[in-house]
Amino acid sequence: MKIIIGGAGAVGTHLAELLSRENQDIVIIDDDNNRLDPIRSHYDLMAVTGSPSSIEMLNEVGVSKADLFVAVTPDENRNLMACILASKLGVKKTLARIDNYEYLEPENAEFFKNLGVGSLIYPEMLAANEIASSIRMSWVRQWWKFGKNGELILIGAKIREKCELLNLPLREIKAEDPYHIVAIRRDNETIIPRGSDFVQLYDIVFFITTPEYIPYVRKIAGKEDYKDVHKLMIMGGSRIAMRTAQIVPDNLSVKIIEQDPIRCELLNQHVGKNTIIINGDARDISLLKEENIEDTDAFVATTGNSEANILACLNAKRLGINKTVAEVENLDYISMADSLDIGTIINKKKIAAAHIYQMLLDEDVTNVRSLTFSNADVVEYIAGENDAITKNVVKDLGLPVGVIIGGVIREGKGIIVNGNTQIIPGDDVVLFCVGQGQMLKKIDKFFK
Amino acid sequence: MFNVRTIIKVMGMSLYIEFAMLLIAAGVSAIYGENVNPFLTTSGITFVLGSMLYPVGADSEKRITRRDGYVIAFLSWFFISIVGMLPFLFSGVVKDVPSAFFETVSGFTTTGATLFTNIDKLPHGILFWRSLTQWVGGLGFICFMIALLPVFGVNGMQLFSAEAAGTTYEKLHPRISVTAKKIICIYFAITLLQVIFLCFGKMSLFDSVCTSMATLSTGGFLPHQAKIAYYHSRYLEYIIVVFMILGGTNISLLFFAVNGKVKKLLRDSEFRWYIRTLIIFTIIVFASLLMQDSSDVEKDFRYALFQVSSFLSSTGFTNTNYLNWPLLTWGILLIAMLCGACSGSPSGGIKCIRFNVAYKIFHNEFLHIFHPNAVLPVRVNDRVLPERMKTGILYFIVLYIVVICVGTLVLLTMNIGFTESLSMVISCIGNVGQAMGNVGQNGAWNNLPTAGKWVCSFLMLTGRLEIFPMILMFIPAFWKKN
Repeated sequence: MKIIIGGAGAVGTHLAELLSRENQDIVIIDDDNNRLDPIRSHYDLMAVTGSPSSIEMLNEVGVSKADLFVAVTPDENRNLMACILASKLGVKKTLARIDNYEYLEPENAEFFKNLGVGSLIYPEMLAANEIASSIRMSWVRQWWKFGKNGELILIGAKIREKCELLNLPLREIKAEDPYHIVAIRRDNETIIPRGSDFVQLYDIVFFITTPEYIPYVRKIAGKEDYKDVHKLMIMGGSRIAMRTAQIVPDNLSVKIIEQDPIRCELLNQHVGKNTIIINGDARDISLLKEENIEDTDAFVATTGNSEANILACLNAKRLGINKTVAEVENLDYISMADSLDIGTIINKKKIAAAHIYQMLLDEDVTNVRSLTFSNADVVEYIAGENDAITKNVVKDLGLPVGVIIGGVIREGKGIIVNGNTQIIPGDDVVLFCVGQGQMLKKIDKFFK
Repeated sequence: MFNVRTIIKVMGMSLYIEFAMLLIAAGVSAIYGENVNPFLTTSGITFVLGSMLYPVGADSEKRITRRDGYVIAFLSWFFISIVGMLPFLFSGVVKDVPSAFFETVSGFTTTGATLFTNIDKLPHGILFWRSLTQWVGGLGFICFMIALLPVFGVNGMQLFSAEAAGTTYEKLHPRISVTAKKIICIYFAITLLQVIFLCFGKMSLFDSVCTSMATLSTGGFLPHQAKIAYYHSRYLEYIIVVFMILGGTNISLLFFAVNGKVKKLLRDSEFRWYIRTLIIFTIIVFASLLMQDSSDVEKDFRYALFQVSSFLSSTGFTNTNYLNWPLLTWGILLIAMLCGACSGSPSGGIKCIRFNVAYKIFHNEFLHIFHPNAVLPVRVNDRVLPERMKTGILYFIVLYIVVICVGTLVLLTMNIGFTESLSMVISCIGNVGQAMGNVGQNGAWNNLPTAGKWVCSFLMLTGRLEIFPMILMFIPAFWKKN
């Protein structure tokens, strides 16, 4: 598949990196050659210096033969323009990054389609959704939906003393239980568990389950006494903060602390009555105390500065807040932030890139790695007729060590897989594995 | 610090490529009913060695740093030359290791300087092997590895840029392996075309294949001691001139030209500079030949054109004894060796693009005298070069000249004549293969002492790797952590 990416900013670069690993043909265009140089020497793709909204440039990179054009420059108008040009020049599908919520309204979709802009993504909105959902389920570290309507759900939770599974060999979990442990993260290492493994204290355990059994998973993970969030404090009045304040339920009270008084005025025009804007520096502990941080249930740090976000969350943890969420834009800091025990980590680029990925998956039924969490890869395959995977029940397939089948989506319903499950052609199979490329090759054999 | 296992794995892979080459040479030997044992033994050794090295890197991390890339480029050239000299030793055509190593390095680096004084008596297998090393060396092992062995993935790029001759292959396709395949295809197609043209000129098939492989790669090994003069054919000489010029052209641009974008080739500022240099040098040499003897104008023109294209493209073919020419022509040919042809081609030398840029920089410096406040850009193909690239190019030219000076001094300590030393060093580092003065009998370099052979082999590798990777190996900081 030939994919052209316009704009080598954070999202564009991350997406190019992910896709070039999938052996897709990637062309990335940016005005600034300095931004392209590191990409050019590190990834297997073609980097071209030029304007993504120039007709000559688009022709030169062969837009008419491309399958997908993704415009992710910082300027939404330019993205829309580039998509319109690209689709008129013959690209099959287009996708533009935007900053305006209006454009996402369903009634406008048809209008944009006619213009030639196939899909729109709004990374800040996606990040805000992620924050809102992680606050709604405050006991969860990470979660991810599979399938069109979230038929399967992946939940990562930190194990504390109250967990029912503590020190129990996994083989003693009853096969008909409505969840499946697919990965365990212990001291920076991710293991794909086998029957003889234990769940230990302070592990982060990844469960896969169906939406109706989330409360059950919460119970066995020992998280029932986790308070629901009623009071939320947000540091930094970024667009993500504003979006988050808009989409959380009305019964939740939000405080946004922002340094810039002009920005505060602007925020006030966009948020609802449940939100109070406070002008000040959220790194100032006395201000936090004045604003009753001890009574707050969750703390979200979304300033543009990753370091400040991490430190602020650590500080909030020390002041006794259970649930903290930090926006970390620097990809290299993510694993460090993970090990520092900051609850949920939000990364706009990863979310946006993963979202685009998911869209590709929905288009194309060949395998696409949909996301990476804690060094493990999640792969979705559609089982075909005569594939090796459909020949036997799961426990007799002889899957290699380090691979586990999380679940399947069959006719719009999520099914948790155990050893006796039989996979049938047409199933959307969700697999987890560690070991990167070589493991994926081994898995490939089961789908032939 | 180094990704040792991956480095070893790549060594193993380059041996697999060489194994395939050796089998082809063994096949040629068998066709002519010669002793195939030297090739079979070497291929056996290569295969065993490759199979020992390759699994070491089986589960290694795929990331290759820039540093690893340089080590790989250096070691792989060194390794394949060590193994590549075995057929010469096993067949007994060369008696000592330094000579065999010299001959092999001269082959792989497309230099074409030979120590043989009895080429016409050599077995066909050996002759074919010499030409084959040039053909593969022209594009470089790494290009073949990336195209044929699909194990590099993300890191092919890093390697590609470390092996110097490949630095400016324009990407023809988003994926590096497809780009490498396309380059090899066009390279193969042009070689085949030359074989057909040469066969039309009544050259035997074997000679055509060997000559073609040594022409496009700008190598210089030929199956006859008298080189091109052996055939006494105007047609063949003109055909070879055309393909030598093609050998000095950027392969990516040739690819575009074949795909109908001829304009891209004709408008390329480096290609224009290359052709302009070729024409000017030919005219000067032609004029001085006319002054010496104007009895046969066509012959003088042909000799001038042939020798200038041969030296400028760093091929090193001869169709006459240029040592009998006026001294001015020696100077022109020496400068042609320094210049070299286009970047992204198998040729050696400093390369036209660098001269082109250097000229423009000097031009700007003069303008600055009249307009002290002017901001003057250096444009190549209508793009303004960034400052860093400009200094990098000047730095390269200076370093190139420093290496020539040091190399000449080293040869002078061995009591080799001044003309001989200087021209041999320029010839080695430029991967040309011809020198001025009395270097040996019948165009061979057999006057070189043993130490001189090592020095020349080293210089040939330095030139092929475009100096930096080679020099880096001798900088202590390269081997230190941090």
